[in-house]
Amino acid sequence: MSEATESPLAEALYEPQPRGTRRAPRSGRHGRAPRLVLLAAGVVAVASLAPAAYLVLREGFSIGLLWRALDSPSTPELLWHTAALVLTVGAASMLLGVGLAVLVVRTSLPAPRLWIVLFTMPLAVPGFVSAYTWVAASFRYAPSSTAIFGLGGSTLVMSLGLFPYVFLPTVAALRGVDAAQEEVSRGLGRSELRTFLTVTLPQLRVAISAGSLIVVLHVVSEFGALQLLNYSTLTTAIMQRMQVLGSPESARALAVVLVGGAALLLLVEKIARGRQAPARVGRGVLRAPVRWGLGRARWLWALACAAVSLLALGVPLYIAIVGLADGLSGAGAAGADAALDGQVGIDWAALGSAALSTLELALAAGVVATVVGLPISWLYARHPGRFATIAERSVWLAHALPGVIVALALVYLGVRWFRPVYQTPLMLVAAYVVLFLPLAVASQHVGLRAAGRRLDEAAHSLGYGRLRVLVRVTLPLALPGVAAGALFVLLDSAKELTTTLLLIPTGMTTLSTALWSTTNGEVLDFTAAAPYGIALILIGVLPAYLLARRTVRLTA
Amino acid sequence: MSRSPIHSGHRRSDDPEHRAARRPTARLIAAGAALALLLGAAACSSGGTGNAGTSGTAGNANNAGSTSASGQSGQGTSGRSDSGSSTATNTVIPDQPVGNATLTIYSGQHEALVQALTAAFTKATGIKTTIRAGEDAELANQIIEEGAASPADLYLSEEPGPVGLLDSKGLLAKVDPATLQEADQRLVPSTGDWLPYAARSRALFYDPKLISEADLPHSIMDLTQPQWKGKFAYAPSGAFTATVSYLIDTIGSDKTLDWLKGIKANGINEQTNGKVRDSVEAGQHAFGLSNHYYWYILAAQKGGADKLASRVYFFDHPDAGGLLLASGAGVIKASKHQAEAQEFLKWLGSADGGQQVIAGAQAAQFPVAPGVVSKTPGMPSLADLKAPNVDSSIYADTTEAQALIIKAGMS
Repeated sequence: MSEATESPLAEALYEPQPRGTRRAPRSGRHGRAPRLVLLAAGVVAVASLAPAAYLVLREGFSIGLLWRALDSPSTPELLWHTAALVLTVGAASMLLGVGLAVLVVRTSLPAPRLWIVLFTMPLAVPGFVSAYTWVAASFRYAPSSTAIFGLGGSTLVMSLGLFPYVFLPTVAALRGVDAAQEEVSRGLGRSELRTFLTVTLPQLRVAISAGSLIVVLHVVSEFGALQLLNYSTLTTAIMQRMQVLGSPESARALAVVLVGGAALLLLVEKIARGRQAPARVGRGVLRAPVRWGLGRARWLWALACAAVSLLALGVPLYIAIVGLADGLSGAGAAGADAALDGQVGIDWAALGSAALSTLELALAAGVVATVVGLPISWLYARHPGRFATIAERSVWLAHALPGVIVALALVYLGVRWFRPVYQTPLMLVAAYVVLFLPLAVASQHVGLRAAGRRLDEAAHSLGYGRLRVLVRVTLPLALPGVAAGALFVLLDSAKELTTTLLLIPTGMTTLSTALWSTTNGEVLDFTAAAPYGIALILIGVLPAYLLARRTVRLTA
Repeated sequence: MSRSPIHSGHRRSDDPEHRAARRPTARLIAAGAALALLLGAAACSSGGTGNAGTSGTAGNANNAGSTSASGQSGQGTSGRSDSGSSTATNTVIPDQPVGNATLTIYSGQHEALVQALTAAFTKATGIKTTIRAGEDAELANQIIEEGAASPADLYLSEEPGPVGLLDSKGLLAKVDPATLQEADQRLVPSTGDWLPYAARSRALFYDPKLISEADLPHSIMDLTQPQWKGKFAYAPSGAFTATVSYLIDTIGSDKTLDWLKGIKANGINEQTNGKVRDSVEAGQHAFGLSNHYYWYILAAQKGGADKLASRVYFFDHPDAGGLLLASGAGVIKASKHQAEAQEFLKWLGSADGGQQVIAGAQAAQFPVAPGVVSKTPGMPSLADLKAPNVDSSIYADTTEAQALIIKAGMS
């Protein structure tokens, strides 16, 4: 059982290496994967690639168009902008995520569990909501300042929202590091810092790299937040061409460029992740790691942590609550009926039904993504190889695409071949699954690796068939990782807007579409939108808390 | 070194134990897939009923869901009495016979306005509607992707471009000529395939502390001159694209491209018209190019024009900066409810039907039936505007405008 309990279960991305081996066993020792699993994984991978395929296979695409997209004078600037933001947000998230994780796990910082929960909560705040509140705060309290706009502001707002994707797996990975190795290093005369850099950090590589991949792909596909923050990237240009210019051909051509860039990122990450895990001989016993004493400075560090939380959570919540208060007090004011598109007071029925649909859709997406992701993650964990790698990387690609491309691809396919489910919730759930499947697959993979193939083998040798092994041994042990994956998908699905607008059944509203329509998509007025924004954040709090709680348990 | 599991696995494919063991897994996967479908379906059915209702009652359920929004803008009287009456739309049986059709309306127009319109339409005719709200051009693209299978009966645009795009793709049915007669003829497209039902004017928002009205540019064509550098905000919006189409039509592509490059060099791109307004209001720019109604909406929200730091300016001569742009409504050719959809357009364009809603609605847009005047405080009448004379159908093909905007590096 030790393999299961000591692994960073909830943490999406950390892949602990099997104890005592230099690398994962190859499939040869364990027979080939069942054909049905291969088939299922193949189907899922192909489905995930459908939006990218749509870009080049749909009539209207040509190499000439792609060339013109590349040759256009705005493209180099867009590429540069995108790359710059990927670098700054990636670096800032890594710095925040890893720095805070070290602070929480390895120092005498007061109340580490509280900080884990607080540092997970930004996951509950949709990017466009936090950008919106930052811009509103800027106009409200520093009307003449433009500091929030452009690369700097975009880096700030996006990093504050995305660093948990690095923080959570790093906390888990830090917990999994063998204290004995560090002791040996120190015993051999290396300083604390050098020990950390040469012994500890390399073992966090997988967690940091995979977490950063999620961050970076979010940056690449972000639209709403960046539009508000006046920063144009490939995705904002694609969206603008699609939504405003009405130029789908050039939008799709630009999206092909984006897919190319994303594929490059996936390759880079695969290399950065590395093939070999640091060697470790002997099983060792996991002990509480040495915590560095911060002395009195720990209160200063706590203050810094509070500042991060305040910026990441305080600003959105404060503006939302101020907006809510404005909206409610407006009900009694003389100029009440002046609030044009807004509504005075809270329409509880509308809010309730929007919240309910959001929950149902997100839950369904979480469940379906979990089921659909299992063949791929199981294959990748148990039968690693070229096919498994290609299948696993395929599911990531759609994650980098702007929602509108995925949505229009599904509109196109849905109308032609899946007419009965078109504009039903099923279609929307399918879109969420395509978009967020990698989050599920990555977590499941961790869980399955943690469940340890040796236990499978032991169960086999005791007479269990394959199915019983899976149901009675593997899945229960992998459950925390699998559940974490479902939570990540649920969170992102609840926050999704662009795809939701295009695929939602006519007449249905979710919290994010309600938020969009009360603010008319672009008008900065949080009085009518505040209840929806707050409800959306509240819906995200529970899954985020569940994710944090697992991590808290690990570090306890 | 071989990493392929398939390759190394071949050696064991004849192992009977393995072959036998494969089956339970297969069953599990199948069971899993079935479970996924089941859960998905369960979520669907409950999701559907919770909100839109079944298709038969979709129109009503939708109206009920939007009571307060449509209520407020109902007939332009006080918010309180209206919200009462529109709550009632759900239960009140209209005088006229109830049509069996439920019209599906794809709308890029501001949602509150469309909800007010459809609520009043259902009340007047008994024909139910259901709204699909989204971004203007995006919905037009959705209709294009849906093709002949589109569930849309009607499309309501914000800007002339997207509805013109559908027109140019041959996806719209002819509008009853009698209906078109009711509208301001300046806005009616020569194709006759869509109805202008509301209008917005391009305008300047300016901060009197930074620039006086007299010092504002005589024309937006002057903005490429060096003295305006860093002074103004713009947004490459749908209305901006329309402006570019207009310029191509009047001064030609080359000069238009020069102008765009000048704007890009001199102006500050605020991405959306709403942000142009907010940044000018915050004092970040002396003035900005936007659509008139954004300013009136803000004025109403803040409790009057005197509460705002910024002012609105309409060009006093026919200038590209004062274009009058129609919001268009069209009947989708593939719609199975042609008669009802034409009925909707007829009502929408009539001076005592939809035009009253637009005049009273707080979206602050111009009604287009001659004689109907917006009740928004301070708004000029459509007849007073000195907009250039344009055939709305020039906005349909935005290919060249897009190409120039992209060429100028604005997108």
